[in-house]
Amino acid sequence: MPELALALQIFLIIVAVAIVLHKSKFTIIILISVFSLIAATLYMMNQAPDVAIAEVAINAAIIPLIYVISISRQREFIVLDRIRHGFIDPNEKLTGEVYEVLLAFTKKHNMKLNVCCDISGTEEVLTRDLNVDLIVDKLPDSEIYILKGRASNLLLARLKEGAKGMEHIRVETIEDGDAID
Amino acid sequence: MLKRLRTVTPLIKYLLIILLGLVLTMFIISFADYQTIYNNISRLFYQTNGFFDTGSRNIVTAIYLDYRLFDSLFEAGILLVAVTGIGWISQHDDEQENAHFMLDKYKTPELFITFSRLVYPIMLLFGLYIVLNGHNSPGGGFQGGAVIASALLILFYIDLKKSTNMKAILTIEKWLFISLIIISVISLFTRGELFTNFIPLDGNADLKSIYLIALNIIIGAKVALGLTAVFIAFLKEGR
Repeated sequence: MPELALALQIFLIIVAVAIVLHKSKFTIIILISVFSLIAATLYMMNQAPDVAIAEVAINAAIIPLIYVISISRQREFIVLDRIRHGFIDPNEKLTGEVYEVLLAFTKKHNMKLNVCCDISGTEEVLTRDLNVDLIVDKLPDSEIYILKGRASNLLLARLKEGAKGMEHIRVETIEDGDAID
Repeated sequence: MLKRLRTVTPLIKYLLIILLGLVLTMFIISFADYQTIYNNISRLFYQTNGFFDTGSRNIVTAIYLDYRLFDSLFEAGILLVAVTGIGWISQHDDEQENAHFMLDKYKTPELFITFSRLVYPIMLLFGLYIVLNGHNSPGGGFQGGAVIASALLILFYIDLKKSTNMKAILTIEKWLFISLIIISVISLFTRGELFTNFIPLDGNADLKSIYLIALNIIIGAKVALGLTAVFIAFLKEGR
């Protein structure tokens, strides 16, 4: 079937160009598995069923699964609450000025807000090893909230710019040494 | 420093061009010698002797588990080194309980869970079939191991809180590699040759397939565990 093989090869090139040019990450993952399915069909036509099975199993199943899990992890904005009351209570509904600011911020950057309050540890360990993006604290006897994060986090610079006009919110950065990763 | 680099780079450029020219001329020379390099002597040899020498109907398995086992051993070793390297980079010293909090709000779609519960046993069975029938039909340890690994990865999507012991996986992987080497060295005592089948050359073809099935199972388990370990490392890294 030389005509079918030729058509598949042309389709393969089109999909490869689409992978390079496309913007949406999840569409690219689907396109990668489409690419490898077409490649597996071509291997099968050239009488290499061993290679076709390996191609389908690894490039069409395992690599998209790894990509999906790592991209969806990157889309979370993890906030640690140190105040316990007023700002966020896990048993009650989430309200408050800071919460609304953070929600608007994450919505703007197409991310999911993930708030937690039951982890312990020093600030450096939390932000470096556990991927906590932001730690919310409150100055005693005042209404000023302090948001702390890593200085090398790009999102924090944008948050600082966005919160410039607000009186109750102060964004601070923790200086970190040269990160290994 | 920069000045020095600027004077050096043109030299490297010319060297690269000369190297590429050499590769091109070698390629053209190899085409001139087409008849002596690309002949079908080896193909005819494997077709006539492959089954009787190794007991494998699949010539690919015959080559990578018998004629050229040395290559497969190094492939398995490279996979082991890669997996241990990824495991070493992604290890965390913090308590595991601390890392649990992120997962509460991440949810896989219901459709995916229901569908993968239906597909999971079939995938596992198909992977086992490919591994066990590697010497009769297309497939083998690597391909079957990859299918089993993708079945195991789906389990992590169904239940994200599933905890696994990375250290245990790495120890099993090491012992599998050692047993792979031991089985392939037995032939030194029965045949007087390293890295081939341990059943004598004039033995029954069905008996010879015992060795092929054993090696395929070991390689399949190794690949499945290794790919799962890589996935777990990625899963933990994001938390």
